[in-house]
Amino acid sequence: MGVRQTILEARSVSKAFFGNPVLREVSIELVAGRIHALLGENGAGKSTLINLLSGTLRPDSGRILVDGRPIASLTPQEAHQLGIAVVQQELSLAPHLSIAENIGLGAYPRRGGVVDYGRLAAAVAEIGKELELVESPDTPVGRLPLGRRQIVEIAKALSIKPRVLILDEPTSSLAAPDVAILMKLVRRLRDRGIAILYISHRLNEILDFCEYVTVLKDGSVTADRPLAGLDPDGLIRLMVGRDPRNLFPPYASHASGARVLEAKGFRAGGAVDVDFELYRGEILGIGGLVGHGQEDFMMGLYGAIRAETEQFRVFANGAAVRSVPFANVADANAAGLAYVPADRRKEGLLLPHSINFNLLLPLFASHSAERRRGAQETAITERLAQRLNIRGDRRRPTQALSGGNQQKVALSKWLALEPSVLLLNDPTRGVDVETKREIYLALRAMAAEGKAVILLSSDTPELVHLCDRVMVFNKGRVAATLPHAEASEEAIVAAAMGVRKAPTLQGEAV
Amino acid sequence: MLGQGARLYWAIQWRRNEGLGALFLVLAVFAATYAALFPGILAVGAMAKFVQGWFPTAMVAAAETIVMLTGGIDLSVGPMVSLGSVVAASTMQGPLGVFGGVLALLALGTGVGAIVGGFVAIGRYPAIIVTLALSFVLRGVALLIMPRPGGFVPPSLSEFLAGSHPTAALLLVLLVTLWKLYQATPLGIGLIAVGDNAEGAYRSGVNVSTVRMSAYIISANLQAFTGLYVAAQTGSGDPLIGEPLTLAAIAAAVLGGVGFLGGQGAMRGALAGSLLMSILINVMFFMGLPLVAQYVVQGLIIVATVALPLIRGSLRRAS
Repeated sequence: MGVRQTILEARSVSKAFFGNPVLREVSIELVAGRIHALLGENGAGKSTLINLLSGTLRPDSGRILVDGRPIASLTPQEAHQLGIAVVQQELSLAPHLSIAENIGLGAYPRRGGVVDYGRLAAAVAEIGKELELVESPDTPVGRLPLGRRQIVEIAKALSIKPRVLILDEPTSSLAAPDVAILMKLVRRLRDRGIAILYISHRLNEILDFCEYVTVLKDGSVTADRPLAGLDPDGLIRLMVGRDPRNLFPPYASHASGARVLEAKGFRAGGAVDVDFELYRGEILGIGGLVGHGQEDFMMGLYGAIRAETEQFRVFANGAAVRSVPFANVADANAAGLAYVPADRRKEGLLLPHSINFNLLLPLFASHSAERRRGAQETAITERLAQRLNIRGDRRRPTQALSGGNQQKVALSKWLALEPSVLLLNDPTRGVDVETKREIYLALRAMAAEGKAVILLSSDTPELVHLCDRVMVFNKGRVAATLPHAEASEEAIVAAAMGVRKAPTLQGEAV
Repeated sequence: MLGQGARLYWAIQWRRNEGLGALFLVLAVFAATYAALFPGILAVGAMAKFVQGWFPTAMVAAAETIVMLTGGIDLSVGPMVSLGSVVAASTMQGPLGVFGGVLALLALGTGVGAIVGGFVAIGRYPAIIVTLALSFVLRGVALLIMPRPGGFVPPSLSEFLAGSHPTAALLLVLLVTLWKLYQATPLGIGLIAVGDNAEGAYRSGVNVSTVRMSAYIISANLQAFTGLYVAAQTGSGDPLIGEPLTLAAIAAAVLGGVGFLGGQGAMRGALAGSLLMSILINVMFFMGLPLVAQYVVQGLIIVATVALPLIRGSLRRAS
């Protein structure tokens, strides 16, 4: 392979969105003929770093260098010309165009202004052979299953003859045979001297064929080293390693022995065969990597998507009151379930309306025919605002509030219904530290009142420090249900990645 | 090598017929019924007249399709055709004659297309709002130029375009040829890519604004020249003559399988849709149905044709 030279490099780049730092002084070097792994939990800043390297975003500070030369402001088109190709998780294909038209898109061979179909066909045939693309090149991409579309996406990246290839979780939607084809291809490209950046959550894959690793944690590089001498546990420690600050209230369980929900063989959307029970006063955590069925599980439970079970029970005062899953959201609300969505702007709140109006919204469903009474409403909103410490004039439109305060409104509006089960989908995503603390205290208080809380979170420390039990999903199934004492960050991440080594890790940590 | 390219090209073209089978079948049945009821239509002269009646709808259906493929829509088709007819009828008596009129229409089409394109492609305004607002402006301008039907179209031009010659049919052949050519350029393929996945197209290096801008300019030119044709048919300009064409254009496109979300559909579908509507109107006219009943029947057939694939799809999903 001769002398290895750096082709693409980021030098202490930082990036913030709306004042929230996402990347801090990150440096990374992509070297010719090397497969470089980029690791990090959800939200660690991996996608932002890729967008900076491919010109989709510009860094706030720091520089991007190609062949040692700084590039002032990289655009996607320039990146193409410099030979930087990205295979994104979000596909860039046009489903109504054929495979060939998609592969050539943006850089068609031309003759007299018209696409040269002869050269296009030849180029597609060549790449197709390399990728074992058996489908006819005239097939519309929309006809292909997701995994095959991913292969087309990779073919498209290869069609610009890249010198740098960035693969963002290319195997997450691939079946085993396609993974094997891809691995073989990536090795071949490496041998040709292409610099490869490989992002994956499958640790075995990374250990299998990457040489070098950069680990991101909360936007900073925590490791930048050769992979030699690391095992899965070592990688996980690199991703997790840090002390949780004084963010969480001291742990105290309010879980009682009284069941409120119970299901066997529960399936909804991507979630399959989930067995679980939920107790009064319990905080049940839901963990796992994004898109492994956790959201579908919650939505199914809430009646928002269709759910099937072998057995389903809802209890009220110790007696079973229902034995089928909820058919719709109104049904679930009537039984005392409330759901706080992750996307509060789109699903949780009516932003142009006042805080008061938003707080009262869930009540309107039950007061359909009554006349609204101002004094009574004021009393209710006053009480709700106090519970989550929402300050200031409640006649203001909700969009005037900061993200954290909006989240408090989205959460407290349900308390008016006195729900017995609260489903929370990532309630602290994009929320400042102070508000996080308030939300944690509120959750603890609700559990103390005897409500049952299901907390889906992408922030692993929340699961560790708040929850009485944590259910970790992997590929739609519950990979592990960890009681509080065993729910360490290492154990949760290991279960989420499908590595079953929780006990030994636990032993080492002590 | 050439053989490989041609094979790929025609295979891709053939695939675009997918989903249009039902429409082509319905069209064939109606055409056969029409010919059986009124065998006179098969004579060359009658056929030429029929194509002339269909031509404006076909043109505006094509204009609407180009815009809808990018994920946009044009609600100002009718007023634009009216304005085109008014401009044609008021410039052709000038010193430059027919040539001057054609120049004026080119300027009108390109100017209006560039304005809409500017708002939609560069300003990112919703096309539905921009073109709705524009429809009022264009209608007003047409009425300001010519408050009532009038103006002048040279009789020779009327005879050439809408007389006993099959000029309209030849123009349609030309339209389809030019469209095929455009669809073989990166910009033409870009129409579908942008409508399907604008973000993805941008990341792939497609100049999304240019694709949208060109689409609106081409579309507006087609509309302006439809105005010229309509003026030639009647021998004068008319500031309101295009009004029914806005909905006819959208109906034909939707009937032809062109989707509102962009990326979906083909020109041949929209042309077939407009032909089906023309046949329907003719049949109902000859059967002596009152005008109001004709509208009801047209509406029902559009709903039925659009709903059928949806119903089929949901049945398949349920089973």
